[in-house]
Amino acid sequence: MKALARLRRQWFFWLVTAAVYFFLLGPIVAVALASLEGKQTYHFQFPPETFSLAWYARIPQKYVHALGVSLALASVTATIATLVGAAAAIGIVRGGPRYREALQAFFNLPLQVPFVVTGVVFLQFYNQLAILSGIDFLGSLAGLVIAHVFVTIPYSIGTVGSVLARANPRLEEAARTLGASEWSIFKRVLLPMLKPGVFAGFFYAFIVSFGDVPIAVFIASGGFVTLPVEIFQSLQFDFEPAVLALSTLVVIFSVLLIVGMQKLAGFDLVLPAAKR
Amino acid sequence: MARDIVKRELTGAARWRLFLWPPLLLSAALLILPQASFVWMSLHKNLGMGLVSPGLVPDNYLRVLSDPFYLGSLWLTFRLSLTATAIGLAAAFPTAYLLARARSRWISFLIVLLLISSFVTIVVKVLGLSLVLGQEGVVNQFLEWIGIVAEPLRMLNDETGVVIGLVQYTLPFLVMLLFSVIQTIPASLEEAAELHGATRLSTFRRILLPLALPGVIAGALMTFNLNMGAFTSAVLLGGGKVLTLPVVIQRKIFLDVDYPLAACLATLLVVMVFLFNVAAALALRRTRHPLRTP
Repeated sequence: MKALARLRRQWFFWLVTAAVYFFLLGPIVAVALASLEGKQTYHFQFPPETFSLAWYARIPQKYVHALGVSLALASVTATIATLVGAAAAIGIVRGGPRYREALQAFFNLPLQVPFVVTGVVFLQFYNQLAILSGIDFLGSLAGLVIAHVFVTIPYSIGTVGSVLARANPRLEEAARTLGASEWSIFKRVLLPMLKPGVFAGFFYAFIVSFGDVPIAVFIASGGFVTLPVEIFQSLQFDFEPAVLALSTLVVIFSVLLIVGMQKLAGFDLVLPAAKR
Repeated sequence: MARDIVKRELTGAARWRLFLWPPLLLSAALLILPQASFVWMSLHKNLGMGLVSPGLVPDNYLRVLSDPFYLGSLWLTFRLSLTATAIGLAAAFPTAYLLARARSRWISFLIVLLLISSFVTIVVKVLGLSLVLGQEGVVNQFLEWIGIVAEPLRMLNDETGVVIGLVQYTLPFLVMLLFSVIQTIPASLEEAAELHGATRLSTFRRILLPLALPGVIAGALMTFNLNMGAFTSAVLLGGGKVLTLPVVIQRKIFLDVDYPLAACLATLLVVMVFLFNVAAALALRRTRHPLRTP
């Protein structure tokens, strides 16, 4: 009761919070509402003049294709990044205190490099690789996956690491004392404990890869252009109203993903990882 | 006996350390190979047509560091990032405080909304901002309707638009980070201060802020780094006039096909961000955590 009274006095905090939420969600809602406007010509009007779902039926084929590319890219990236990140996290947390801080700093480096720079770096790397070895990663799914794995590994290390740091190492010791082999300790004690962290890491890597523009814009070309890059190009050069409908679908997809994630991992995990 | 256990634990740790090697090798390869070839590229001269000079020369760096255009762009990037970070902190701190302290069923719902905002790709959010903030957008219509402004405010296609876009991009992350920081500070400390007659301002200044400071600085750095590397909002909300370093780099690649110069500018950006972080870390080391002072 006392806490409530204290919060009542804090009208200023409520005001700022309301403004923040309005600012963060307003544009997303505006996109969704504008997509329902039948006479859409890049404007937003409230209330809408004519309600229609016409734009949803008129999404050009190239965006559908780009959506497929993005989904494939994000799934493959998240799978690889989670496997690599989980292994790294086990090594860092359970491998003893020596070098722990240095390892953490090292694995976090990809997040210290501005994304634009990562994009340009991989563009030039692939160019030189193509000259030197003839293998051309530019405009291929593999090229995108490699660059995205590079930036998403830190996320899964973060989520798996935070679960592992909280898990009691005595459980493993107990299993060892009771005669379990290292392999069965790993499979039957460690792995089940890691599950929520693994899910959260997958989820983060997926979202980062799925939404990325500054990296993909440099290395996505030809048949493998991701959806955010297509939308970006449309906004930069020639706006198509169908992009509004498409964006709304992306928002709905993100919401479903979050709800699903909450069921699998819970927010406790998603939140501390979000600090990266 | 005790020695035996220690020995056994060590072998356990050594086994777990084996897990490190594949990620370590992969990450090192992905970090070092591209970056090295990149810095190497920045030391070449552009000969046009995608060709570069054979020898290593510092020409690009000399050119960039003596050209007011590039220095101006660097300063602009720095200034906008700092402004957006300051605005973000001012908005995120009260929000995070409320989310961390309020005991209401709605809080978890509000956090879901925050997650949604942070996971919707930035291009969609920028699209929304340009719909809402334009000269004939709802925000201007509303402001004119309540009579605050006589003419539509110009919020897009200049630096204001870019800063708004940057704040939109980083704010959800910052709120989440500060939320988890403030949650670790016991509310009882603030209550105790108030019981002893501290005003709310002095409770904030002398209890909350010092305890939250390491987290606030970490959040500010994260936001600043994201801002320095963001170019989606600069391209789409700056109307092609706000040439921050990321935008210039993108143009060098796509319009001028001058890879060496782009590599040089990008190296400069990384070095700037890195130096800023090191400087902040050094400054942070001096401000001790208040609970740990003997």
